[in-house]
Amino acid sequence: MAFGKRLMELDRRWIFLLVALGTLIPLILPIGLAVRPTAPVQAVFDKVESLPTGSVVMLSFDYGPSTAPENDPMAKAVLRHCFTRGLKVVGISLFPNGGLTVLNSTIAEVTLDFPPELAAVHPIEPGTSYANLGYKDGGQAAMRQMAVNIHAVFPTDANGAPVTGIPLMGQVRSYQDVAIVVSIATGIIGEWWANLVNAQFGTPVAVGCTAVSTPKYYAYYQTGQMLGLIGGLKGASEYEELLIRKYPAFKEIYGRTGYYTATKGMDVQSIVHLIIVAFIVLGNYIYLASRRASAAQQGRAS
Amino acid sequence: MTVEILAAWIAAFLTVAILSFLYRDNPIFRIAESVFAGVSLGYYVGTVVTNTLKPNLVLPLANDFAHSWHLLFAGAFGLMLYARFVPRIAWLGRWALAVYVGYYVGINMIQKLQGEVLPQVQTTMVPLNSLSGETLNNVVIAVGVLSVLVYFFFSREHHGVMKGVSRLGIYFLMVSFGAAFGYTVMGRVSLIIGRMSFLLNDWALATWRAVTG
Repeated sequence: MAFGKRLMELDRRWIFLLVALGTLIPLILPIGLAVRPTAPVQAVFDKVESLPTGSVVMLSFDYGPSTAPENDPMAKAVLRHCFTRGLKVVGISLFPNGGLTVLNSTIAEVTLDFPPELAAVHPIEPGTSYANLGYKDGGQAAMRQMAVNIHAVFPTDANGAPVTGIPLMGQVRSYQDVAIVVSIATGIIGEWWANLVNAQFGTPVAVGCTAVSTPKYYAYYQTGQMLGLIGGLKGASEYEELLIRKYPAFKEIYGRTGYYTATKGMDVQSIVHLIIVAFIVLGNYIYLASRRASAAQQGRAS
Repeated sequence: MTVEILAAWIAAFLTVAILSFLYRDNPIFRIAESVFAGVSLGYYVGTVVTNTLKPNLVLPLANDFAHSWHLLFAGAFGLMLYARFVPRIAWLGRWALAVYVGYYVGINMIQKLQGEVLPQVQTTMVPLNSLSGETLNNVVIAVGVLSVLVYFFFSREHHGVMKGVSRLGIYFLMVSFGAAFGYTVMGRVSLIIGRMSFLLNDWALATWRAVTG
């Protein structure tokens, strides 16, 4: 038990170092573990895939840089999917701390590196393929008002231009003109889309959320209030996998050296989880063994 | 390009400064922590002023007072909240808070009922009348929900059958907390992956490419 005792007294900084190495090494030397899509993510993908060309998708960037490692990959994958299908995207943000930043940067990045062979089929034009309406404060109040008049909630786009001058917005007035709302969310905002917008107005809603929120959101997926759920980095990697399988043109983007993707992140997740599980098992074994040892010692003493 | 590299170096310095706390507390960590607190608060205040107060209160009052004078009441309620810092008029803040809480209770009552309670109750009413895998799932759902509800029923002491059902509810809760914990670990690991990926790709690799051309 001397080894066990030393392990129990181990400086926690060695554990931090081990986790750091477990994070760095798979990033430098990717393992390439297989990603198997699950039903909640497949449901979102299938819904977007089934929408007729020209349908309007409201993509709400309800997260900020604080959860970007999880939410960015799913936002980019969904946006790429929408553009590939020739869907019209209305981009908004209801998250105050950096929501507008991620909205602008995601649209800029996706439109910049979009595969030319896919852009030739459905060209991406600002104002007709997508509209960036920017950030609106108010949360539920804004969601409620958009059921009546989106133009009143977003009178100008992210650049300050009147929304009435945007060709796409001529056909989008309320949720009735939107085929689906996809919210990439952190915290409670994703829940609002389900229990307010879907429950009260019947608009189909899909949510991509952080892993912390996923267990709670499964309840909404089960009731059908969310038609699909992209949960955490795992969900994002599944959506990327589905996108690449259906549209191999994206393989080059997702395989770029130095480009962060959810699929690469899941390699690291697997290694770090193994490290954590190993320490949990070891810790519990040492605890139980030391209890047995002290019970035996007490028995000998008496 | 130089500006991007400089920004990456500043971000990398702050990232490493924050992570240095894992080794031990140090002045560099304290500086980075203070910078983060100050910048995030300043950004939030700027966002509120630019995206909330200005378009919803200031501009309507300035441009069209005749049709927007009612917004003065909203502005007054907002200012009344700050009265709590002056002991003699702190009671004013309670009135503003009462309006604020009353509004949200009214808004959320229907939303919670229609959007959460009723759909969850409806989905819990599952068929148990056939021999199939789905029925087994349904039995687990029904037993789990009922036993957890019994656990949270504190109007009666848990004895006998109720104690047994309540204990079963605890096991269901423990399984769900374990699942939530696992997802939380995944969420937190995702954040460190994001930071490490930034240090490797957006900082180190980008700097190397900029230097070597």
